[in-house]
Amino acid sequence: MNSIKLKRQSWNIGIILIALFLGSWQVSRLPVFGSYEARTFLLGILPIALLSMGQAIIIIGGGINLAIGAESVLINCLAARFMVDKSFTVAVALTIFFLLISVLVGALTGLIISKSKIADIIVTLATSFILIGLAMYIQPSPGGGMNLTLAHLISGKDSAFLPPLITLILPLIVIWLPLYRSRTGIAMFAIGSNKDSAFLSGVNVDRTRIKLYAIGGLFAGISGIALTAITLSGSPFASISNTATLNSVAGAVLGGVALSGGVGGLTGPALAALILYFIPTILLNYGIDPAYSQIITGALTIFVVLVGGLIRNRGKKK
Amino acid sequence: MNKKALLKISNLAKSYGSVVALRDANFEVLPGEIHALLGANGAGKSTLVKILTGVISSDQGVIEVNGTPVKFTSPDNARKGGVAPVFQDPALIPDISIQRNLHLTGTNKNRFLKEIAQMGLTVDLNKLASEIELPLLRMIDLARALSHDPDLLILDEITAALPVDMAQKVISIMGQYKAQGKSVIFISHRLAEIEEICDRATVLRDGINVDTFDAAAGSEERIVASMLGDKNVSAKEHNQRSNKSENDILLKVEGLAGGKHLKSVSFEIHKGEVLGVAALEGQGQDLLFEILAGESKPSDGKIFINNNEVHFNHPDDAIKYGISYVPGDRKTALMPQRSIRENLALTRFRGLRNWGKINFRDEDSKVDGAIESLEIDTRAKSQVKRLSGGNQQKVTIGRWVTTGFDLLLCFDPTRGIDVGTKAQIYALIEKFANEGMAVLLFTSELREIQLACDRAIVLYEGKVQADLEYDNCDEASLLNAAHGLVGA
Repeated sequence: MNSIKLKRQSWNIGIILIALFLGSWQVSRLPVFGSYEARTFLLGILPIALLSMGQAIIIIGGGINLAIGAESVLINCLAARFMVDKSFTVAVALTIFFLLISVLVGALTGLIISKSKIADIIVTLATSFILIGLAMYIQPSPGGGMNLTLAHLISGKDSAFLPPLITLILPLIVIWLPLYRSRTGIAMFAIGSNKDSAFLSGVNVDRTRIKLYAIGGLFAGISGIALTAITLSGSPFASISNTATLNSVAGAVLGGVALSGGVGGLTGPALAALILYFIPTILLNYGIDPAYSQIITGALTIFVVLVGGLIRNRGKKK
Repeated sequence: MNKKALLKISNLAKSYGSVVALRDANFEVLPGEIHALLGANGAGKSTLVKILTGVISSDQGVIEVNGTPVKFTSPDNARKGGVAPVFQDPALIPDISIQRNLHLTGTNKNRFLKEIAQMGLTVDLNKLASEIELPLLRMIDLARALSHDPDLLILDEITAALPVDMAQKVISIMGQYKAQGKSVIFISHRLAEIEEICDRATVLRDGINVDTFDAAAGSEERIVASMLGDKNVSAKEHNQRSNKSENDILLKVEGLAGGKHLKSVSFEIHKGEVLGVAALEGQGQDLLFEILAGESKPSDGKIFINNNEVHFNHPDDAIKYGISYVPGDRKTALMPQRSIRENLALTRFRGLRNWGKINFRDEDSKVDGAIESLEIDTRAKSQVKRLSGGNQQKVTIGRWVTTGFDLLLCFDPTRGIDVGTKAQIYALIEKFANEGMAVLLFTSELREIQLACDRAIVLYEGKVQADLEYDNCDEASLLNAAHGLVGA
């Protein structure tokens, strides 16, 4: 790996170091650390890590999706409502169907933004209300469930930590890697970096944006399904969706995605979700007031982004 | 000329709202021809290029390529149709590597590297576009366009951002390209380049093609005349000011150094003097200006104003000492979405008290005065970004006119500006000097030195290579010094 590439990976390396540090701290506090505890970790971060990755794709492409939490909650409610007491095969078919819906919702959002030329932040704020409304209509109160075999396949059971790990990593390998290498992937960085230059280079800006929102929607859908498998219920609350959306932005930014677009990857946001999870857990273990843990999380986010930004800017100056 | 036209444009028109950018453009480009497209700022050249390359669509008119009517819907589409452009602004995506940039346009990597090698350059494909300096980026843009083997290459002011040696390289590439039977549309404000390489020239004025003729040596006057129409602005003889006295040193710089390129620069500038700065690309001139404007800090050296040593920590400090900076990149100086008025009045806020009310009546009269004295075209006054490049440049200078200054730093103020506007800017600079202000003027076009300056320094390898009196500032001497061949 030459120095240029190393410098570009510096953010990821930093995030890995912070995550390792916090992780070993947390592990050292536990009386035992085995596969059961590992699974608990993974379940704690899985939905938000997936959501951060989806958000990251959209932010790299120069947009932002404030409805990504609502998309996830909608799929969560759909899954919990319709998958309860269904056989495994039906549940799998429904999963695929719901993931298609999440792709469609994302694509539709991207279409509205592209055609209306209204800012992403406004359109997605509006769609978040619509999607939460739909979720509440589908699942008026918390409840529902999921076929247990499928749930265990997604989120594991007892000390089986491999299934949630696979659910976390598989989208990275199956969706992100091919995307990164494809023309759409380059177009994603291009429209986020400079829309006009991208257009002059022959990128179809509208179509790329729609694709990115669709892929972001897919990640939100996977997150929603994972949430259903973990909680075995659907919760139609705006507060959940709003917190999830904000955390997804925090995860993306902490993971090295520039809010201005054009810079970043998905590994960082996935790891950042780990950090966002560790901080409150560790502080809770020490018996520290949750209010402080919020403050510390916020301060750390600013610190990491500040240091990372400084390093990045120094690299850019001739 | 009975050859069949490669490109034929008839009755092309385009309006943006009430602003007519292109009224009725007609011309032909023959195979194996280098065709210059000329015109004052706002004459419609850029609009025409954008239509030809599918960036925007025309309101009416026909484009024919090899006799077949075409309508390009995107730059990609145009590229596949054999028309490859190099736009005025770099079209490479800043945040991704050159390799991925090539991938984006479907450019063959080996072919690209071959083109780059033929230019005598080297490019690290793993570098991000934002890590590469502008002149090289322009050459990469050109190499990428050439790799697509277009029948028609469109170069929109590519030489404006290039130092003399690279501009010369572009011209020889165009010559080779023509020898292969391919055609080029070449847009440039440097008339010497037009005469050197172009076969024919078409002049646009107010969105209409007013003249097409053979471009040969001596056609300069015809070009200028048809570009300006009845406006009588010939580049007038420079009258040297004699009232300069040795005691009135306004700014003195000693051993200024900084960054990679600026080694040790010393010079002085008198009140009422226009000092030219000439240099090839990358001799530290940009940093010199940034340091004097308080934007960057020197690693070594001293700055004196009226014989007192000063230190700048912030552009505000420089402004307090009466130094105003007009940067080379108009886009960094302007607030593109705001009106001409607000852009002109921006620097006046210094005269306001915090929370005080803005005296609009006073502002109006000052701003109107500036607009009038600079002859800014106010048709699109509500947003500066809709103005043509020359008018934008006038706004960046004009804002300092409304506030006043002792020393004006102008970094390549006439880059990409038509002859008429250039003459206006020279006149403005001369007016400043006559009023006792000093101007430090960097220009990438060497003949400007004698048109606008009283004296010139030439930078080479971060040092002052030559300090030339007016009579010695001819292009040849400047060029020699800029290549480090004489002086010091």
